Amino acid sequence: MLKAYMILSIILFSIGVIGLISRRNIIVIYMSIELLLNAVNLSLIAISGDIGNASGHVMSLMIIAIAASEAALFMSLFVVLFRKKGSLDANIFDILGNKDD
Amino acid sequence: MTNTFIALAVPALLLLSAIFILLFGFSSYYSKNRGYYITLVTLFITFCISVNGVGDIHSAEVFPHIFNAMVVYDTFSATFISLFLLGGFLSLAIAKSFIDKTNFFVPESFVLFLFSLFGMVVLTMANELLTAFIALEIASMAVYVLVGLNRESLKASEAFFKYLLLGSFSASFYLLGMMLIYAQVKSTNLNVIAEYILNNDLNSQLLIVAGSMLIMITIMFKIAAVPFGAWVLDVYEGASLPITAYMAAVFKISVFAFIIRMFLTNNDFVQLVFDPLIILGAVITMIGGSLLAVIQSSVKKMLAASSVVHSGYMMIALASIEDIDSSASSAIIFYLFSYFISAIGAFGVLSYISKGTDKLISFDDLNGLGKNSPIIAVSLTIFMLSLAGFPSTIGFIGKFYIFTSAIESGYTPLALFGAITAFISIYYYFKVIVHLYFKESTDVKVQYGYKVSLAFIMISAFIVLWGGVGTSLIFNIPGINALNELSKYAIQSLVF
Repeated sequence: MLKAYMILSIILFSIGVIGLISRRNIIVIYMSIELLLNAVNLSLIAISGDIGNASGHVMSLMIIAIAASEAALFMSLFVVLFRKKGSLDANIFDILGNKDD
Repeated sequence: MTNTFIALAVPALLLLSAIFILLFGFSSYYSKNRGYYITLVTLFITFCISVNGVGDIHSAEVFPHIFNAMVVYDTFSATFISLFLLGGFLSLAIAKSFIDKTNFFVPESFVLFLFSLFGMVVLTMANELLTAFIALEIASMAVYVLVGLNRESLKASEAFFKYLLLGSFSASFYLLGMMLIYAQVKSTNLNVIAEYILNNDLNSQLLIVAGSMLIMITIMFKIAAVPFGAWVLDVYEGASLPITAYMAAVFKISVFAFIIRMFLTNNDFVQLVFDPLIILGAVITMIGGSLLAVIQSSVKKMLAASSVVHSGYMMIALASIEDIDSSASSAIIFYLFSYFISAIGAFGVLSYISKGTDKLISFDDLNGLGKNSPIIAVSLTIFMLSLAGFPSTIGFIGKFYIFTSAIESGYTPLALFGAITAFISIYYYFKVIVHLYFKESTDVKVQYGYKVSLAFIMISAFIVLWGGVGTSLIFNIPGINALNELSKYAIQSLVF
């Protein structure tokens, strides 16, 4: 049974990485990051049940808390970026690294 | 003061004063200045408390029944905690002129400073992977917001976006690695993992190897080693100067503190699996950082790129750590101190002469500074000499220890490579000095004011010089030998 959970978790993680690399909307990118964290959560819970050790459950709770604080930061990021350019397309935020200064 | 008291008092004081400023920051009585002074006083008091733990070898778990051996307070953490608090104090004190002349530093921004310092303090004491991760996230989340503090500036917002996105992406790799290690060892305590690795055959430890590789990705990201450090130039460019100084000096050494603890508890394993990778990483970090630094046209971005090169030097020392007694392990702490004090000074001078504007200071902006304001020019020159590793500064002694320890451990080509990189670095550091003294400028004399900021810049410059020539024999002021002694104590407490 653990194997199935791990495969699911790996698939979720891969979807997260692919989404993070290929999508341009910042909200979708944020959702991909949440997917990464939740993939880890899922496998932690599965492992913890499999080896009969409760600390994995506690870790997943901690990771949920970290994901929540990350969500707060991303929400503020959306607001800041949308006020600047009226769009959340990652490609239009590109002035850093330009060699004009 | 007992050690348990110090271990509890420092983080508790940081948190309490952060919460105090948060609660009263909105009342009209507590202006920006009061928040600033409360933060400075807190940092000073906590620094005075924490230096009591430095100087003798001790190591104890803090309340093992409550914290389940997750937090360890030893000389190692005491040394680093004092370093962070000193760094936070110095970078804030030098930034006084910058903070006064800009309007985006609100009382709450100092709360973020305190929270990030709290995270770093816990990170050095963490003896467990999840505790370390939470501490690292507390510190980095505060720093993410500090980067984007200037909401008016598009650059700062973009740097915030870039850093937050890449930072949380790399953090998920740490969690993945921790999960794999937990699956095999059934624990995330560093000592338990070390014991498991010692007692089992390496071939049966594939999950630990894979997991620690993934953890290394996050750590390489945080210290901006080359394949993972693509964010560093843009983020340092976008963040305002005091924040850049804080990130480059204080935040970076906090990650190194955790990496050293992790490496030294699992020393044989690391040598077997990671040494080739770290050597490769050190080489490409030094090449990549030098290439980036040579082509920059602004001083701030040049310093940002050169901080990548300094990560490369520290990775040389990491690779040459053979055991607790080898000189590499104390060399890296000495180098961390020398880099930290020089970087804080160099970025501090930039923030002092930028007078609160967010324009990038190009090399031409420094023209004629040697004639118009000699004290600033001399301090900047001292910091540049130290960063380049010029004799009679602390940077030279740091590099000397690192390269000799690499030769001692049999990595002579690596030490040679480091020396070549140091030669290249003379080009871009001395370019600053050339612009300071040998270029004509028509600018009239500028009044900078803020003697306090200038005084702290001069104090840092003095520490840089004293760390290069001074010994305790003269006037009984701790010099090179005392610093070396302290870093040896710190390392030995890890196996105490």
